[in-house]
Formats: sequence, structure tokens, C-alpha cells
Amino acid sequence: MTADAPIIAIENLVTEFRTGGGWHPAVRDVSFAVQRNETLAIVGESGCGKSVTALSIMGLVPPANGRVASGHIRFAGRDLVGLDEEEMRKLRGDRISMIFQEPMTSLNPVLTVGFQIAEALHYHRDMGRREADASALELFDQVKIPSARQRFADYPHQFSGGMRQRVMIAMALACRPELLLADEPTTALDVTIQAQVLSLLAELKAAYGMAMIFITHNLGVVASIADRVAVMYAGEIVETAPVNELFARPTHPYTELLLRSIPRVDRDTVGLSAIAGQVPSIGAMPSGCRFAPRCPLREEICTRRDPLLVKLSDPGDHQVRCWLRAPSSEAGHG
Amino acid sequence: MADSVLTIRGLRKFFTVTRGFPRSRTVTVRALDGISFTVRDGEAFGLVGESGCGKSTAGRAVLRLVEPDEGEIVFKGENVITASKARMRELRRKLQIIFQDPYASLNPRRRIGKALIEPMRVHGIADEAECEARARALLAEVGLPDNAMMRYPHEFSGGQRQRIGIARSLTLEPELLVADEPVSALDVSIQSQILLLLQRLQERRKLAFIFISHDLGVVRYFCQSMAVMYLGRIVETGPIPAIFKEPLHPYTKMLRDASPVPDPLVKVAMLRIEGEVPSAVNPPTGCHFHTRCPHVMPICRTVYPEWRQMDDERGVACHLHTN
Repeated sequence: MTADAPIIAIENLVTEFRTGGGWHPAVRDVSFAVQRNETLAIVGESGCGKSVTALSIMGLVPPANGRVASGHIRFAGRDLVGLDEEEMRKLRGDRISMIFQEPMTSLNPVLTVGFQIAEALHYHRDMGRREADASALELFDQVKIPSARQRFADYPHQFSGGMRQRVMIAMALACRPELLLADEPTTALDVTIQAQVLSLLAELKAAYGMAMIFITHNLGVVASIADRVAVMYAGEIVETAPVNELFARPTHPYTELLLRSIPRVDRDTVGLSAIAGQVPSIGAMPSGCRFAPRCPLREEICTRRDPLLVKLSDPGDHQVRCWLRAPSSEAGHG
Repeated sequence: MADSVLTIRGLRKFFTVTRGFPRSRTVTVRALDGISFTVRDGEAFGLVGESGCGKSTAGRAVLRLVEPDEGEIVFKGENVITASKARMRELRRKLQIIFQDPYASLNPRRRIGKALIEPMRVHGIADEAECEARARALLAEVGLPDNAMMRYPHEFSGGQRQRIGIARSLTLEPELLVADEPVSALDVSIQSQILLLLQRLQERRKLAFIFISHDLGVVRYFCQSMAVMYLGRIVETGPIPAIFKEPLHPYTKMLRDASPVPDPLVKVAMLRIEGEVPSAVNPPTGCHFHTRCPHVMPICRTVYPEWRQMDDERGVACHLHTN
């Protein structure tokens, strides 16, 4: 580990789900690390494994039909894989927090928002009611909910979507977590409200020095919030780079095509690309490169052997999983 | 200039909603508060705005799927609102709609073939064999395999279902399609497939569109002109290139500048944090946008700005642009 030890380091994570009688990986061999005061955006389409990665970190993979099959999730030096529920619960909402896409489904409709924000402080910090309420009120101000004192005793349904998301953020930040997982936190919001929530998150991240893992399908949002990006496809990271580098030199064919299939608001789009076909289902993954069946550059080797995530030669921290764009010297597995 | 295929004048629709417990109260939602616009022949006309601005109600009102309270809908010279039941049935052939979630609009127990053939049978377009041949041709046109005829909606992915929804909307050879957020529920790679398909159809069939979307990037790509709605009213209309280059209404500018751009070097506006955003239930006095407007003037708080037509194509309702 370097001098700048990451707050979280994922190593070769494999998370599987049981479908049709067998276990199939939804996340395969995923590794990344996030430093303090850094935002890593995980971007990909539905079913690429980005949310499952977050749930694995939180220890929230449903045990009935899911499991972390192998790999390590090192948080502040400690492996979270295999940690028992009691220990996990001490971390959740305290040192690691998460916000979700739809705040209404993660807020309790019959409890006041004030109570829900104070709850974490009461539980983790052993604060009394008055003290917890006072801290919660301060959080209300930090997430810029106007007339905080009056709104404190309101119920979730009395808030609009954007305000509910700010309540969620206040809840998540109550104990000043070192790591915040944000799973599509602005997807359900209108663009003007999205812009507000994004700037609020960026501001709070800097103020707290948190590490943030921001999960989204929207490359526009990635461009405005991320320091580093990991692009996922069919359960694997196919490309990862610092944000400017990724957008300047998208190297994996999937990343490149994805960027060319977004109609842009800031200029005329000439020649919109589409990616033929669709994402493979979890039980029917192609052999070799998982993007090969949809890839216009496909060659014989692509369908035969799994490509590895390979560091590109010149720039610092740009890795790509592609036989053609980033050939590896060593033999791939599979 | 091309002729207009559809002209909307002063369309109004208020909903009354009773809500609250234990003391319920009745409120009026001013979903459409007198909107007017024109769609030209073969043009894709974008209707944009944020949730609750009335854009979907407008799309449905055009087909009289919600009955407007007031106003005129003129389709090729004929007033749709005063049309008789029998005439309306014929007009419906020419006016069709595509929804955001095609799964919700397909009968799960009906094979795709049947779903496509039924409208043709209802309207007595052709005999059974001919209908089936047409259905197959439509599936090919939207890029689905022939065997889709015998399959059920659940056997298809989201993108494929949207293709089915599009095929079905085309069965009666409409001249105007209302597309209500047709790509919003789709992944990026599938979204562009559907946009390209719609674009091909527009060119090949000379279709006019009312394209309802909250995504300005998609509207900029697909449409030729657009109207921006805010709390039940149109605040700006005009051709796409002009509006994006120089939006006249501060709300249009705010929407444009807040839309994320997939380029970290382009600065997306970081907006000032606001409290509750007003809704169409109780729109602010004067210009509805004054509570969020960076250029607010005293008059904005009391008087709703009159519509000003800047030229043939552009118009705006904002005190910054009144004489």
C-alpha cells in the first residue's frame, strides 16, 4: 500500500446469484480503491453489476439467493467479507453510508424525518434525544433544507423528491462517514434539481473529506462529479481512468460507443451511434470478452479467451480490458 | 414554409383532486393553462419541461385521451374537439401515441401478432391474411424477427418492447405520432437504437411527431422545433438551433445549462440550492417562474407576462422580452 492508503480497497470481488438452479457471477473479478476526498464513479447500463458491487460493500447482498463468493473488501484495512451482521451493523450508517435512487422507498413513511436523521446518532453515538435532535437540526442546515426547524417534524410525504433526497443525504451523513455510497441518487430527479443535489454532494464530500462511490448510468453526471471512473459491463470493469483521461481517450470499444450514443445538449450530434444487440443475461454470458458479441471490432481471439484489465503504457492510471485496444503480454485466463 | 398538420390554441385542462386525511381538501391542478403551438408537416415537435409541467397531459389531450376543458385542436383543418364519435374514430387512425413503458400498454396474455392485427381489424382495414402480412412487414420495419408474432410481451427486453409499441402505433398508418418519453426508460445503448429507428420512420413515412421528453439532449437531436413548458404554460417556442444557441426565457436557459454533458471540461451550471419547487396545484402569482428566476423584477411577481411573438417561429412569455 502506498503512503496515501485508500479508505476502501476491493480486490477480485466476485458476487454471485442463484438463478435457474446454478450460481452465476453478477460481479466478476472487480478490483478498485478509493482514497479519502476522492469520488469514484461506477458507470454502466442496467445489469452491469454496479449496484451489486455497492450492496456487496454494504453487506446487503440478499443471503437467500446471493453471496460474495470470493475476493476482499478492505475498509480502513479491515476485510468486510465474512464479517458478521453485528459488526457490519456497527459500520453501516456510521463509517459507511449509502443513499439510494428513490428516497421515498428508503424513508419510513410513519416517522418524522427529524426522528429518522437523529436515529443514527442515537444508535451509533449513544446520544440522548435532545442532543441527537440538535445535531440533526444542524444537518438539516448543512443539506440546505429551508425553515429547518418547522420541517423537522414533517413526514416524508410532505417533501418533494429533491428535498427527500436531501433528507436521505442528511441521514447518511449524520455520523460523518468516511465512505459514502451513492446509488443513482439523482436519477429520479428533474435536471435542475439534479444539478442542485450534485453540487451539494460535491460540497459536502470536500467539507467532510469523505471518499465517495457514485453509481450512475449517466455519463453526463459522471463528467460533472467524478475524479475517477470505472466503466462496468456484464459484471466486469472494462475500463478505468481519471475522469479527464477517460473522456479524452475512451479506449474500450464499449466506452467509446457509449459516449457516441448520447445525444448531446451542448452541440449538434452528427452520426449518433447505436450499440447493436443487448446486454447478455446473467445466466447466458458469452465466453471470452463479454462485449464481443456486440463489438464491431471483434476478432477471433475475443470470443475465445477472456481479456485482462491491462494498464495502458503511457498515461498513469488508465486500464482497459480489451484484446485489441490493450493487448496483454501474458496469456489471459479462460 | 411547410403547412401545419396540427394547431393547438388555448388548450386548458384543470384536474380537481381531493386529498389529505383526516381533513381532506379539494385542490385544482392547473395541468394545462391555455397552451398554443403548431406542428408542421413532417416535423418532430419537442415538448419539454420538468415533471408536473403538463407536457404529458398536453400529449394526451391532443388525442382526447383526456378531454380538454377549453381550447381548439385543429388537425389538418378539422377541429378534433368538436368531432363526432364516428369521426373521432377515423381521426384516431391518423393520430397515434407511443408510451414510455410499453410493457404497461401491452396485454401480457396476448401474442404480439394479435396485438398488431387487432387495430387493423377494428378499423376494418383489410382481410385477415392481408392484416397478418402487414403485421409481419411492420415487425421487419422496426427491426424485430418474424417469429415475434407468436410470442408474448414478457419474452422481450425493454428495447424490443418499445419497438413493439412503435410497430403497433404504426398499424393504422398515422400521420402524427405523440411519443411520450419513448426512450426515457431505456439504457443509453438501447436509447440510441430507438432514436435512430424513430428517425428512419420519420423520414420514410413523412411522420409528424409530438415528442415529449425531459431530456434536452434527446430533443435537440430528434426534433426540429420545440416548446418549453413550466407549470401548465408554454414559456418559449422556436426552432431547435435558435433556442439552444440563445434561449430567450431564463427557464429555458436554466434547463439547458443544468443538463449534464458527457465532457468533464464543459462546466455544467451548479445551481443555487432552492427550497420546495412550486407545483401546478398552487402556482406562484405573476410569472410562475419568478420564485426561481435569476432575473426577477418587481413586475414578475404580480403580472403574468404576455406572449410575445418575436418572429414567424420564435415566441416567449417573459417580462425581459416585452416591449
